Amino acid sequence: MTQDSMTNPDSRTDSQSTDLERSNQTSDPLVDSSIDTGQSGGSGGETRTVIESRDLDVFYDETQALQSVDIEIPAEKVTAIIGPSGCGKSTFLRCINRMNDLVDAARIEGALNFEGKNVYDDDVDPVVLRRKIGMVFQSPNPFPKSIYDNVAYGLNVQGIEGDYDAIVEKALRRAALWDEVKDQLDSSGLDLSGGQQQRLCIARAIAPDPDVLLMDEPASALDPVATSKIEDLIEELSEEYTVVIVTHNMQQAARISDKTAVFLTGGELAEFDNTDKIFENPESQRVEDYITGKFG
Amino acid sequence: MATDQQTGTWYGTGEAVSRVRGQAFKTLCLSATLLALLSVFVLLLYVANDAFQPLSADTGWLLVTIGTVVVPSLAAVGYYYTRDTRAGETATIALGLPIVSLLLTGGVFITFEHVVSVYQWLSILVSLAVAGGIVYAHSRVRTEADLERLVVVVAVPALALWFIPKLILSLPMLPTQSIALLGSFVVPVAVVVGLFVRRQRENDRDGVIAAVLTLVGAAAGFGVAPVVGITPFVWMLLVTVTAVPVSLYVESVIRRGAGVSGLAFPLIVVGGIVASAVLTDTLGFAGPTPWLDWGFLTNVPSRTPEDAGFYPPLVGSVMMLLIIIISAFPVGVGAALYLEEYAPQRGRWGRLVDLIEVNIGNLAGVPSVVYGVLGLALFIRAGGLGSGTALVGGFTVGLLILPIVIISSQEAISAVPDSMRQASYGMGATKWQTTRNVVLPEALPGIMTGNILAMGRAIGETAPLLIIGAPAVVRIAPNSFTNKFSAMPRQIYTWSGEIDAAFRHGVLAAGVVTLLVVLLLMNGAAILIRNKYQRRE
Repeated sequence: MTQDSMTNPDSRTDSQSTDLERSNQTSDPLVDSSIDTGQSGGSGGETRTVIESRDLDVFYDETQALQSVDIEIPAEKVTAIIGPSGCGKSTFLRCINRMNDLVDAARIEGALNFEGKNVYDDDVDPVVLRRKIGMVFQSPNPFPKSIYDNVAYGLNVQGIEGDYDAIVEKALRRAALWDEVKDQLDSSGLDLSGGQQQRLCIARAIAPDPDVLLMDEPASALDPVATSKIEDLIEELSEEYTVVIVTHNMQQAARISDKTAVFLTGGELAEFDNTDKIFENPESQRVEDYITGKFG
Repeated sequence: MATDQQTGTWYGTGEAVSRVRGQAFKTLCLSATLLALLSVFVLLLYVANDAFQPLSADTGWLLVTIGTVVVPSLAAVGYYYTRDTRAGETATIALGLPIVSLLLTGGVFITFEHVVSVYQWLSILVSLAVAGGIVYAHSRVRTEADLERLVVVVAVPALALWFIPKLILSLPMLPTQSIALLGSFVVPVAVVVGLFVRRQRENDRDGVIAAVLTLVGAAAGFGVAPVVGITPFVWMLLVTVTAVPVSLYVESVIRRGAGVSGLAFPLIVVGGIVASAVLTDTLGFAGPTPWLDWGFLTNVPSRTPEDAGFYPPLVGSVMMLLIIIISAFPVGVGAALYLEEYAPQRGRWGRLVDLIEVNIGNLAGVPSVVYGVLGLALFIRAGGLGSGTALVGGFTVGLLILPIVIISSQEAISAVPDSMRQASYGMGATKWQTTRNVVLPEALPGIMTGNILAMGRAIGETAPLLIIGAPAVVRIAPNSFTNKFSAMPRQIYTWSGEIDAAFRHGVLAAGVVTLLVVLLLMNGAAILIRNKYQRRE
C-alpha cells in the first residue's frame, strides 16, 4: 500500500513534465499541423490529444522495430497509419494497448502517454488499459461461441453490470450487423461470413464502450463490398470514438482518415499530418515517392 | 534424326523414366501394412474362437443361426451399403448405442454396488449443494472481498464434504436404497435430459416433457420391476442410463426423417437371435458352450474352469480407473496448462522449462515395470499404504500415464489458435479469464480424447500391478479402495500360468476378449468425441 502511494505522486510528476515538454515544443511542426486540422476541418472545434508518444523505441531482441517515434493522436478523429510492410505500423498500434507485452522478445523505451499517463509506468495495469482501448484484429477472430456471447464477452470479463440484452443489441446496431443476425443470436459466430465476422469483432470491441478503438488492417482479409461496409462503419464510429487504423491500402486511408501517419522502412515516422496534406502535398520526398507508388 | 524429333516422337520411346524402384518400394510398404493387419486379425480371430467355441455347437444349430441371424443381417448391411448410406449410419449407431449404454449401466451398477453406496453418493450431493449455496450467498453479500471469497470457495466445500456425509449416514432413519437412488441419481439425470432437450429443440415444453418422462419411467420401476423379475434399483439404472439415451436417439432420427430405415437393423439382429433361440430349442439342437457368457462376467474366479468368472477383476479395474480419473487427470491437465499458458518461454527459466518438457517425453517411454517399482517404493514403503490395494494400483498406474496425459493435453492446448487468446486479451481479459473462457473450452475435446486414450493404456497395464502386489486371485469383489484388488490383465496373467489347459485356452481367451471390448469401446468413444467437436473451419 505504502509503495503504491509512493509511486503515484512520482508518476504524476512524470506526466506533468511531459506536458511541459509538449508546451515547450509548440514550434514543432507536428503541433502546427494539429492547428491546421482545426482550420481545414472547418468545424473549428478544439482537438484534444488522447495518445501521444515521445521518443518511442521498440526492439524485438536486437532488431529495432520503431525508431524514436513522436506522434499525437487527436480525440474523436480517425488517424490512419500507412507504410510499407515491416515498417512497424502494427508494432506501434500494439504499443498503445500494450499487446506487445505478450511478446517476450519485445522491449520498449521512451514514453507513450494515454490521457497524459505513460502506459509503461510501473503502476499501470495493462488489463485496465486494454479495457479503455478496444482492438480489432487483421483477420476476423470471433470466439467459437454464440454471436450473443461474443458481443457480451467484454462485458463479462470486465464485470460490467447492466442490461446485457440492450447493450448487445446496441453494439450490434452500431456495427451495422443487427438486422442480419437478430434472429440467430444463439448460433455460432463462426457461422457468419468473413465480413460479418469482422463486424461482429467490431461490435465485440465497442460493446464495453472503450475510449479508443485500435484497428489493425481490419479490411485486409475482406472483399470490396465488405470493405466498404467496414469503412462506412469506421466513419460513423469516429463521431464517438478515437479511431487509430493501420492500413495497407492508401486509398482507404485517404477516404476515411482525418490524419495520416506514414511510417517508412526501419520503423521511423516519416511524416504525420492532415490526410489531405499528406496525399496532396507531402513535405518529404520519400513520402511522396511512397504515396505515388515509386516504391513500397 | 532431327526430323524424327520434330515429328513428335518425344513420347513413348525407350528413354522412359524408370519407375522400378518406386514400384518395388510401394509394394514393400503395402505388404508390410497387410502383414501387420493380418497378424492382428488372425490373433483376434484365434482368441475369439477360443472364447466363444462356435464349433462346439451342433451343425443344425449353426445352420439355423446362420439362417436367422447372419443372412438377414448381411442382407440388411448390403442394402444399407448400396442403397441408403444415411440409414447405414443410423443402423450402426442404433445397434451400437444400446450396447454401449448397457455396458455403461453395468459400470454405474458396479460403482454404486462396490465403490460409493447410494447413501454416500446422496450425502456427497447434499454436501455439495449446501456448499454451493453458501458460496453463492457469500458472493452476493460480500461482492468485493476477493481473497475472502477464495478462502470460502476452498474451505466451505471441504468442510461440507467432511461433516455432512457423516451426519447424514448417522441418521437413524434412511430412505430405502431405491428411493435414495431416485432422489440422488434419477432426478439429476432427468434435469440434465430436460435441459439437453430444451437446448436441442429450443422449446421449454419439450424439455419439461422429456424430464418428466424420464422421472416417471424410472419411478415406474417400483411397480413394474418386481413383475419383470429385477429390483427397482436395477430398473432405474436401466431406464436412466440405457433407455433414455436410446429413446432420445430414436426420437431424433424419426424427427429428422433421414435414414429412418436404419432403425430396423437392431430389430433384425435381436429378432434373429430370438428366432434362432426358439427354433434351436424346439428342434433340439445344442448350441455352443462359450467360455465368455453371462456367468463368466458375474461369477468370481474358481478352481474349476467351467465356473471361473471375471467379476472381481472387472470391479477392480473400474475402481482403479476411478482413482486415476480423480488423481492423474487433474494433475496432468493442470501441468499441461501451466507449461503451455504460464511457464516462461525465454531466458534461464525458459531453458529449464524446455528441459522439463523433454524429460516428460522421456518419462512417457519409461517401462511400466519401473513405474511398478516406483509405486512400491513411494506409496507402499514410504507412504505406508497397503500393498495390492486399488488405491495404490490407481496411483501407480496414474503415475505411469501422467506423461501421456500431459503431452496429449499440451498438444490440445497449443492447438488453440493464438488469435483467440489475442482477441481475449484485447478485450481486457486477464490471463485467468482467457484461460478459463477461451483456451479451456476450445481445448477440452482434445484433452478428453487424449485422456480416454490414456485410460485405454492404463486399463491394460499388468507389470506395475504385479510389482505392487495385486493378488493373483481375488475371490470377493473389493468394496473399498483399501481392499486387496485385482484388475483384468492381472487375472488374465494368473490364468496364463494355470496347469489346466482349459484355463490357459478357454478362460484366458474369454478374459482377453472382455478386456479388448472395453478397450475398443473406450477408443471408439475417443474417436467419436474428436469427430464431433473437430473445429469447423
